[in-house]
Amino acid sequence: MQIRFAGIGGQGVVLAGVILGEAAAIEGLKVLQTQDYSSASRGGHSIADVIISEGEIYDLMVTNADVLVALHQLGYETAKPKLKPDGLLIIDTDLVKPDRDYVGAPFTRIAEETTGLALTVNMVALGYLIAKTGVVKPESVEEAIRRRVPKGTEEINIKAFKKGLEVGSK
Amino acid sequence: MKFPFPVGKVDFIQGDEAIARAAILAGCRFYAGYPITPASEIFEAMALYMPLIDGVVIQMEDEIASIAAVIGASWAGVKAMTATSGPGFSLMQENIGYAVMTETPIVVVDVQRGGPSTGQPTLPSQGDIMQAIWGTHGDHSLIVLSPSTVQEAFDFTIRAFNLAEKYRTPVILLTDAEVGHMRERIYIPNPEEIEIVNRKLPQNEEEVKLPFGDPHGDLVPPMPIFGKGFKTYVTGLTHDERGRPRTVEREVHERLIRRIVEKIERNKKDIFDYQAYELEDAEIAVVATGIVARSALRAVRMLRDEGIKAGLVKINTIWPFDFDLMERIAEKVEAMYVPEMNLGQLYHLVKEGANGKAPVKLISKIGGEAHTPMEITEFIRRDMK
Repeated sequence: MQIRFAGIGGQGVVLAGVILGEAAAIEGLKVLQTQDYSSASRGGHSIADVIISEGEIYDLMVTNADVLVALHQLGYETAKPKLKPDGLLIIDTDLVKPDRDYVGAPFTRIAEETTGLALTVNMVALGYLIAKTGVVKPESVEEAIRRRVPKGTEEINIKAFKKGLEVGSK
Repeated sequence: MKFPFPVGKVDFIQGDEAIARAAILAGCRFYAGYPITPASEIFEAMALYMPLIDGVVIQMEDEIASIAAVIGASWAGVKAMTATSGPGFSLMQENIGYAVMTETPIVVVDVQRGGPSTGQPTLPSQGDIMQAIWGTHGDHSLIVLSPSTVQEAFDFTIRAFNLAEKYRTPVILLTDAEVGHMRERIYIPNPEEIEIVNRKLPQNEEEVKLPFGDPHGDLVPPMPIFGKGFKTYVTGLTHDERGRPRTVEREVHERLIRRIVEKIERNKKDIFDYQAYELEDAEIAVVATGIVARSALRAVRMLRDEGIKAGLVKINTIWPFDFDLMERIAEKVEAMYVPEMNLGQLYHLVKEGANGKAPVKLISKIGGEAHTPMEITEFIRRDMK
């Protein structure tokens, strides 16, 4: 399965990709994660690709995305040509105005309401993605979050992740 | 001993990080460097880990000083490494020659990016293949390894240290921004699972006297390291078996340089490494290295699905290069294809090896993106018409 996260610098797009990749590795799946970002640390486009497979992975980046998670209009515009016609588009409904069918929720707003921090938007979106696709188990993602986020922020990130799961399961 | 990262476990890390961890497991305890994208993560990981295991990390004023410090550390008996990218690699070339001439075991990592000059700092390239082999001046040989996955970045780094120690030579780990920055699932072995080679030290007074001779007949003299009771003279000038400068005697220069080159050439069987896929009945062969070998393998499988008998030679050791292997393959196939991320470098090695027995075609791509499998299959299909 090919999954692309697309947003702008500062949204934690790459970290979302790394955590999803780590969760897949925890489950013993083959996984490759790459990223592409502009030289600006905030504001430029930011893309994280995750390819998860039971067999060998030859692709180096997402070529035909099964899922595109778009957290910002700029990321969406940059990434949408790679989404399969029948692929799943997940968006932050406040920040992305897509020109095709989609699912989603106002992830940034939900993040602010849940944890008080807009920057946990990546975890909310990740939870939503897991609820919609089941690509890895929520427990594996929680384990990956504990390994990857800065010490002391584990619980707040897991809270945001669980909220995303909940919203996506509705 | 306790390592500052999990061992005997599966992990999910970047190629650069894998290189740093492998170096530490191989016994590296000295790192000197100067930051540069896309190799900086190696430096960062070393800076994080080394103080915890009594290792030393120094940021030098530039890449010239970095490799000089690494050579010095090796003569003090410590396994040492530096890492850089194209621009810094060019600066290191003079001292790579010094390491060849003084037969100093060191590991130099080049995480290739688009060049020349500052070029494309964040994007991968294979533009340094020829520089890795021939960048330094004068007649010489050294070893160049080329990984294509994060696991190989780890495994080949261990091998780089072992080969450097075994043959008393600089070893270049030639990788690229794609392998360096991608994260993959890898297995970090326990130290007991890793074979470690250490340099030969002189066993007696006679051997101490011949630090640049051939006392064992294997072309690799024991290395009398400083601080262990040995005295020796180390110079980049042409020197005799004892290490004393002899700069005008033709025979001395010829004996020294031929031995240094021959110790690599004669051990090509041990050093050269490749993997063959679907090659037995292949009618066309793709030859690729590093990151491009992944797309090439997918391309070969796609061609097979269409009934085209394609095979892949994945080159793991770029130098010394097995030219004879290329000729043996060329005798059996109708054409050979070399996809690479430059305007033709590995291509020239393959073509020289093929020796006219089969046409060799270059599939060139530059600009910071590896070939897709489709681009390789399309080229081959078009060419076969």
